Amino acid sequence: MQIMYFAFRNLFRNLRRTLAIVITIAVGSGALFCFDGFIQGVQKDFRENTIRSHSGNGEFHTKGYLDSAYEDPWKEWISNYDDVADFLYEQPGVEYIFPRVSINGMLVHHKKSISGAGQGIDADEEAEFFQSLEIVDGEPLTDQANGILLGKGLAKAIDAHPGEEIRFYTKSIHGKIRSRYFQVAGVFETGNADFDNRVFRIQIGAAQSLLGTSRIESISIGLNDHKNWDAVSASLTAQFPFLESASFAEINKIWYQHSMDWLDAQYHIIQIIILTIVLLGIFNTISTSILERKEEIGNLRANGESVFDVMRLVLYEGLFLGTIGGFVGLASAYLVASFILHQGILMPPGPGQTKQFFIAFVFTEKMAVTALSLSIISTLIASFFAGIKVCRMSIAKQLRSF
Amino acid sequence: MQDTHLFSIKDLSFSYPMGSIQVCALDRLNVHIPAKKLVTLSGPSGSGKSTLLHLLGLIEPLQKGEIAFLGSPFSSMKKSLQNQIRRRDIGFIFQRFHLIPVLSVEENVSYFISRMGWPKSEVKKRTEEALDTVGLSKHIKKLPFELSGLQRQRVAIARALVKNPKVILADEPTANLDQTTGKGVMDLLQKLVEKGVSVIISTHDPMVLSYADMKIHLLDGKLVQQGDK
Repeated sequence: MQIMYFAFRNLFRNLRRTLAIVITIAVGSGALFCFDGFIQGVQKDFRENTIRSHSGNGEFHTKGYLDSAYEDPWKEWISNYDDVADFLYEQPGVEYIFPRVSINGMLVHHKKSISGAGQGIDADEEAEFFQSLEIVDGEPLTDQANGILLGKGLAKAIDAHPGEEIRFYTKSIHGKIRSRYFQVAGVFETGNADFDNRVFRIQIGAAQSLLGTSRIESISIGLNDHKNWDAVSASLTAQFPFLESASFAEINKIWYQHSMDWLDAQYHIIQIIILTIVLLGIFNTISTSILERKEEIGNLRANGESVFDVMRLVLYEGLFLGTIGGFVGLASAYLVASFILHQGILMPPGPGQTKQFFIAFVFTEKMAVTALSLSIISTLIASFFAGIKVCRMSIAKQLRSF
Repeated sequence: MQDTHLFSIKDLSFSYPMGSIQVCALDRLNVHIPAKKLVTLSGPSGSGKSTLLHLLGLIEPLQKGEIAFLGSPFSSMKKSLQNQIRRRDIGFIFQRFHLIPVLSVEENVSYFISRMGWPKSEVKKRTEEALDTVGLSKHIKKLPFELSGLQRQRVAIARALVKNPKVILADEPTANLDQTTGKGVMDLLQKLVEKGVSVIISTHDPMVLSYADMKIHLLDGKLVQQGDK
């Protein structure tokens, strides 16, 4: 207790130096906290965009459906959609349910034609949830019974524009060729060129009618919080063992998960750089502070304090400095992010997007604990090496150091 | 037969490295220092008196020879026991006082005994007694920079005294003080000897030498003269 008290009093020995150390640590911890908050903001934005662009929080389909190729895939589709939907609506956090079917075929406009991968969707419901699907021309598909929403590449290939009619040819599950006219409601762009060059969307009723089936290929859901996915997925697959689930991260593994991993790696590299700068910055100051007290440390040792006692003293000082600097940094970063940058940081348009957008800082308790812990650990490391340097001298040499 | 001397020094040699050569500070010194006396170590600068004091106080490691403290040889002593001896049995008074600038007079005096695990009431009582002995009872809350040279040296004496040590080692305690102030310090040390504390002082001040019960005079690391009052 006496050592701790003495260490605390030592903070007031040279206030200017203490302030310099505290500011260095505060800048480091604030930078770590802010950068982590920014990366979390980017990840949150990216996650929400991915969820709300086309995949939802995840989807359900029959077991093994995605991993196998079937001659008649519709035979594997979900036949009791109403039961599944009723159960899903009872689950906490489920706000939207999107039944979907795939429908492939030929799109013809004037004398141009192209094959496309269609999605039959509950357009009215999806328009409400999928707000991040960027409509670059026309309007979203909502309740237009004969409406069709085209990917940007697809629309360009057949030179189709909103308001124009196109004819769609497909093969029913019974092998008959069927066709129907659709009116282009709008053109979307996700930034994923492969997706935008292939995909179009029509009402699910129209798709089922053309295919001649009432079955559903997959069910996507929209949750009030992405953290509810695991619970909903577990209870649904327990209730309907023939179904399996795939989260939005699994569906968009290359597009989403790799980007998240890349951002994480970037954060860790910056974290190491910041910590190294902080460590070098404070090591010099702490070393000076301890080395100029060699005589005093010699006096402590001459009066029976062990090397361990002196190291405790030095480390307690480091602990106080690291804690104070860490808290000052966190508080400053939080205040700056909450008041000066409360809207976030304005970013240029992302890949495949046309609008600038704000990335807001997302702070969590875990991030604060991490930034604080790293500040304290860095300061303790700097203090330890500075202390050891002095303690390795003989007591007489310490006492002669004036 | 048990050694009754405070310190028994046998064939003690010590040298400091200076570049590529070794400078001899003590050369095969043999001397016995009795307890409860005021002993002076004198000699010109570089004669080895401070080195001897540091070796006696376990703040310089032994190189050659042996020192026994109340019969216990330093060479076979574990570091933890050496720390214990420095903490409990030896009080230091340095020329440059070495007070802790961020602690008050009272805290400077009580710091080391409070680290011995004594009850707070005992620490307080002893601290008050020590400060009373050196006449600083009215300055307990002051910080070292608020004190005069004599007052600082008195705090250093109180700090050495408060542990109730077997011996006080003083390295030129009057060197930074004027003659009157220095005499004040010596009167204080002499009173401690009268109370049964051993005091060993390194000095070349004739005024200090006049207080000695035993004088050890060194020259070039060798004992050239030893005499009692």
